[in-house]
Amino acid sequence: MSEAPAIETVDLKKRFEAADALRGVNLRVPAGSIFGFLGRNGAGKTTTIKLLLGMARPTSGRACVFGLAAADPAASVQIRTRTGFVDENKALYEYMTVGEIIRFTAAFYPNWRRDLEKRYLQSFGLPPHQGIKGLSLGMRTKLSLLLALCRGVELLVLDEPTSGLDPAAREEVLQALVTHVSTENLTVFFSSHHLADVDQIADHIAIIDAGRTVIAGELEDLRAQYRRVQLVFAGEAPEIAFRASGVVRVRRQGRVLTALSSAGSDALIEEAMRFGPVSADVLPVSLKEIFLESVALED
Amino acid sequence: MLWHKAWLETRGRFLGGLALCIIVGFGAIYDFRATERLLPVVRSIDPATLDMSGPLGAAIKESLQAQQSFRGFVWWQWYRQNLTYLVVIFGALLGAGGLLAKSEGATLFTLSLPVSRNRVIGTRALVGLAELLALAIVPSLVLPLLAPSIGQTYSVIDVLAHGACMFVVGSVFFSLAALLSNDYADVWRPVLIACVVAAVIGMLEYIPPIGQFGMFKVMNGESYYRHAGLPWIGLLVNAAIAATLLRTAAVKLAHRDF
Repeated sequence: MSEAPAIETVDLKKRFEAADALRGVNLRVPAGSIFGFLGRNGAGKTTTIKLLLGMARPTSGRACVFGLAAADPAASVQIRTRTGFVDENKALYEYMTVGEIIRFTAAFYPNWRRDLEKRYLQSFGLPPHQGIKGLSLGMRTKLSLLLALCRGVELLVLDEPTSGLDPAAREEVLQALVTHVSTENLTVFFSSHHLADVDQIADHIAIIDAGRTVIAGELEDLRAQYRRVQLVFAGEAPEIAFRASGVVRVRRQGRVLTALSSAGSDALIEEAMRFGPVSADVLPVSLKEIFLESVALED
Repeated sequence: MLWHKAWLETRGRFLGGLALCIIVGFGAIYDFRATERLLPVVRSIDPATLDMSGPLGAAIKESLQAQQSFRGFVWWQWYRQNLTYLVVIFGALLGAGGLLAKSEGATLFTLSLPVSRNRVIGTRALVGLAELLALAIVPSLVLPLLAPSIGQTYSVIDVLAHGACMFVVGSVFFSLAALLSNDYADVWRPVLIACVVAAVIGMLEYIPPIGQFGMFKVMNGESYYRHAGLPWIGLLVNAAIAATLLRTAAVKLAHRDF
C-alpha cells in the first residue's frame, strides 16, 4: 500500500445558504484501501463526495484527490479522468439504451476496459438494446457499477451503491465489487448507512455525523481498540467519572455499569476496580455499536 | 460524444419544430393563390375613400402594398409573422434544458465525466444553435422549390439572407432560455419567460421611436426585403446580446454547486 493517500481532506467545511452541511471533515484514504464512509442520512456523506469530485466547492478547508486540489476546475477534470463514480440515485440518461450509454461513457476514458465491459454485461444480465428508462433499480445499479468499473481508473467513489436494493441484489453488487477490487489495483471510497455492507468489504472506515468526522481509521484497529466493559456491583452501581483516556460513554442501570472505551480496556478496568465491582467483563464491540455510540455522542 | 448526447436531448424538439415549420411553409405558398384571387378586388379600392390614418390603418396599408407580389407576400406572411413566431418559440425550446433539466436527469453522472462545465454547456449550445440555424433556413427552402408549382419564383439567396436574420435574432431567445435554465430545472418555465419577453419586445416595437430599432425588424429582414441590404448593425447587436447571455449562463454554471 502506497504512503500517499488517494483522498485527503483537512477541516473541510461547506455551508449552503443557512445550513452548515460540513463542519470539519478530516479524511485520509490510503491508496489501495476499501474505505467505508459511514453516517446517518443527512450527515454530509454526499456533500463530501460532491466536493471531492468538483461538483461543489468548499466554504473552507482542503480536499485533495491524488494530491490534486478538488476545488480547482482544471485539476478536477484530471481527478475525474482517474475516478469512477456511482451516485446514490443511479440517475442515468433515460433516453439512451444500455449500449448507447456504455459507448458514450467509454469515449471519455482512454483506458476503458472492453474486456470488463463484456464480462459485466454478461454477468449482470444487462441487455445492450434495453432502454435505460425501463430498467429496474437493481439493473440500473448494476449498469452504474459497470460504467464505473470499466473506466480503467484508480479510484472508485460510490455513494450508497446498494441503497434501495433487495438483499440478493445487494449481495450480488457487493460480490462484484469485491471480486473487481481483488483483481484490479484501485482504491474504493464508498458511502453507506448499511453497516453490514461496510463490515463485509471495508478495511478502513470513517464515521461522519452532523458534518464532522467523529471516527476514522483502520477497521481492525478500531475493533481492537473499542471495548465494552461491564461492571456488576453488589448494590447500586456508583457514579464514576472515569479519568482513563478513550472513555466514550458510561451507562448505569441498577447494579450494572457499562462503559465503552475507544482505547482498550486495561486502564478503564484498573480505574473501575477501585470501586469494588463483584465482576468485570470485557466484551468485543461490533461496528454497529461503534457507529451507534459515535453518532449518539454527537447528539 | 457530448454532441451526440446534446442531439439526443434536443432532437425531439428540433425535428418537431422542423416538421411544423415545413408544414406552415407549404401553407404559406398555397395561401398566395387565395390572396392572388383577391388582388383585383384590393386594387379596385380607391385609397382616397379609406381612412388610413393611425397605426392600424398604416399597418393595413403596408400589408396591402406588400402582398401585391409573391416576394412581398412571402415576406409579410412567412418571415414577418409565421416563421418569426416559430423561431422564437423553438429557439427558446432548443435553448432550454441542459445540465440541470430534470427531464434529462443524470446531472451528477455528467458532472462525474472528465470534461469541464464550459465544454458541456458549450457543446450543448453549439448543437442547439446548429439546429436553430437549420430551423431558420431549411423550412424556407420549400419556397424556391415549390413556388414554380403556382407559377412563381423565389430566390435561394433571399432564403439565406432572411434565414441569417432569423437565426441571429432567434439565438437571443435561445440564449435567454439557456441562461434561465440555470435557475429552473424544468424546460417550460424558461421557454415561457423567453416567449413573454419576446411578446413584450414585440409590443414595445409598436411605439414608433422604439420600432425604428426593433429586434423583430432585424429578425424579419425588413431592410433586406425593402432595400436588399442586410441590417448589419442590428445583426451585430443581437449577436452580441446572444453571446453575452450565453457567456453569463456558462459563468453561472461554472460557479454553481450541485
